[in-house]
Amino acid sequence: MAQYMLLLYDDPSGWKTMSPEDMQKAIQKFFAWREKVRSQGVLLGSHKLADDPGRVMRGKGQVRVTDGPYSETKEVLGGYFLIEAPDYNAAVDLARDCPGLEYGGTIEVREVDPMAPRK
Amino acid sequence: MASDQLTAGPLVDHLFRSRAGQMVAYLTRLLGPEHLDLAEEVTQEALVRALQNWPYSGIPQNPAGWLFRVARNVALDALRHRTLTGEKSAELAAEHFRHADTPTADDAELEEQLRDHELGMVLMCCHSILPPDARVALSLKTVGGFSVREVARAFLADEATIAQRLVRAKRQIRDSGIRFELPAGEDLIARMDSALEVVYLMFNEGYAAQSGEDLVRHDLCGEALRLGRLLATSSVGTPQAHALVALMAFQAARLPARVDAAGELVLLEDQDRTRWDQNLIALGFHHFTLCAEGAEVSSYHAQAAIAAIHARAHDGRGTDWKLILGLYDQLIELSPSPVVELNRAVVVAKVHGAEAALAALRPLEGSRALRNYYFLPMVQGQLLLEIGDKPGAAQCFHQALGRPCSEPESRFLQRKLAQCESH
Repeated sequence: MAQYMLLLYDDPSGWKTMSPEDMQKAIQKFFAWREKVRSQGVLLGSHKLADDPGRVMRGKGQVRVTDGPYSETKEVLGGYFLIEAPDYNAAVDLARDCPGLEYGGTIEVREVDPMAPRK
Repeated sequence: MASDQLTAGPLVDHLFRSRAGQMVAYLTRLLGPEHLDLAEEVTQEALVRALQNWPYSGIPQNPAGWLFRVARNVALDALRHRTLTGEKSAELAAEHFRHADTPTADDAELEEQLRDHELGMVLMCCHSILPPDARVALSLKTVGGFSVREVARAFLADEATIAQRLVRAKRQIRDSGIRFELPAGEDLIARMDSALEVVYLMFNEGYAAQSGEDLVRHDLCGEALRLGRLLATSSVGTPQAHALVALMAFQAARLPARVDAAGELVLLEDQDRTRWDQNLIALGFHHFTLCAEGAEVSSYHAQAAIAAIHARAHDGRGTDWKLILGLYDQLIELSPSPVVELNRAVVVAKVHGAEAALAALRPLEGSRALRNYYFLPMVQGQLLLEIGDKPGAAQCFHQALGRPCSEPESRFLQRKLAQCESH
């Protein structure tokens, strides 16, 4: 089966005023979604990425580390889920009810290149 | 790559809310009340980090321990930053912090300590220099873990008003140098009385909320009960505090039966008593026994005793109304108010009949406090209906409908009105 990377972008600034109760509800929605993905036997892994500055390196010879190509926008790549799905549309369907969207984030769905050699 | 070994099971209900209160209390004790703002910011940040991490990692083995550890690190970072900008009090607070243990919240001793911090926090929020409405708002915000928006929603108030009230209260705390340590002697008694009042007000506000209304309003009862138990079972607990908890537990037990399946209001005597929450009734009796230990009888005692009689009765007819009437007489002596008089009159009807109750209500007609309260004309209407005066009753129900009341209450009054017009 093909593997897909769900890249979750979010804007954490809205969370500063969220109530503890609402935050817990949001987490519970994420868990419910994770369970759904897992019950379909396709969650391979997930990681949160650190928010610290210094995300992107660029330049030839003189390499600079900056906050990233998107430093002017508030949305940051928060983390990713690696899943398995029969095809791209199925992966999109799984991502469709990810609570990240409900809380104003965006999700990029990318297929892991099937031509790449696997272990 | 697999990170699924962590449990993704459900979180304990209101875990974030209750831990938020404990974190604010823990941090305020270490940082000092003048840094209450920082304590709140740090707590929020720790919770946001959980929100950012847990969806990917799953719930940590010890969620509370994780939160406290993160809160401590965030606080140290913030203090380091403030120290660098030359803030003297931050340096002191940082010093204090480094020597303090991190609560891991996984053993009984630490839970006990956290309860003490919370107690200190409640008593700080209930300091007499703060206006009473600020005490309630501040308690809910800091100890209760409510957001400003939730406090506003709970009290049907404007968010900006509540925010301003909180800012002002925090400034007063800072300017007057209120300490976090538990007060003693007279001060403790006054602060405890104030805290019980805050809890009582919180509960009544939640109890007045109608079915279908914002759930946050219903949560007020739960939070009031939690704070009441915290006060009652603490080292400075009093019989009054136990009486208040008993009262709240008995009242809360009846909440599920207060509306029927169709969302219609059900009066106490018509309630399906199998829907009363037996655990809460047991809790009520537990605290009711404990409240009898003091010499002083407070208005909470009298109210708890009345609620206990209802909780014990199997139906309206099995209720000892004479005993209740005696308790109302006592309550009027302890804390006289037109609302108590009004409720007493309902009991007078049970013991001495409708005519006697109507006579007891007459002096209340001119009361300013009851002018906008639908309950007085409603009770009068019910009594008149009972003695067969349908036109008089109809007039009362009309009058009640002209006063502010909720949807289910208004539908109840309409049904009564229709009853007056039938033959």
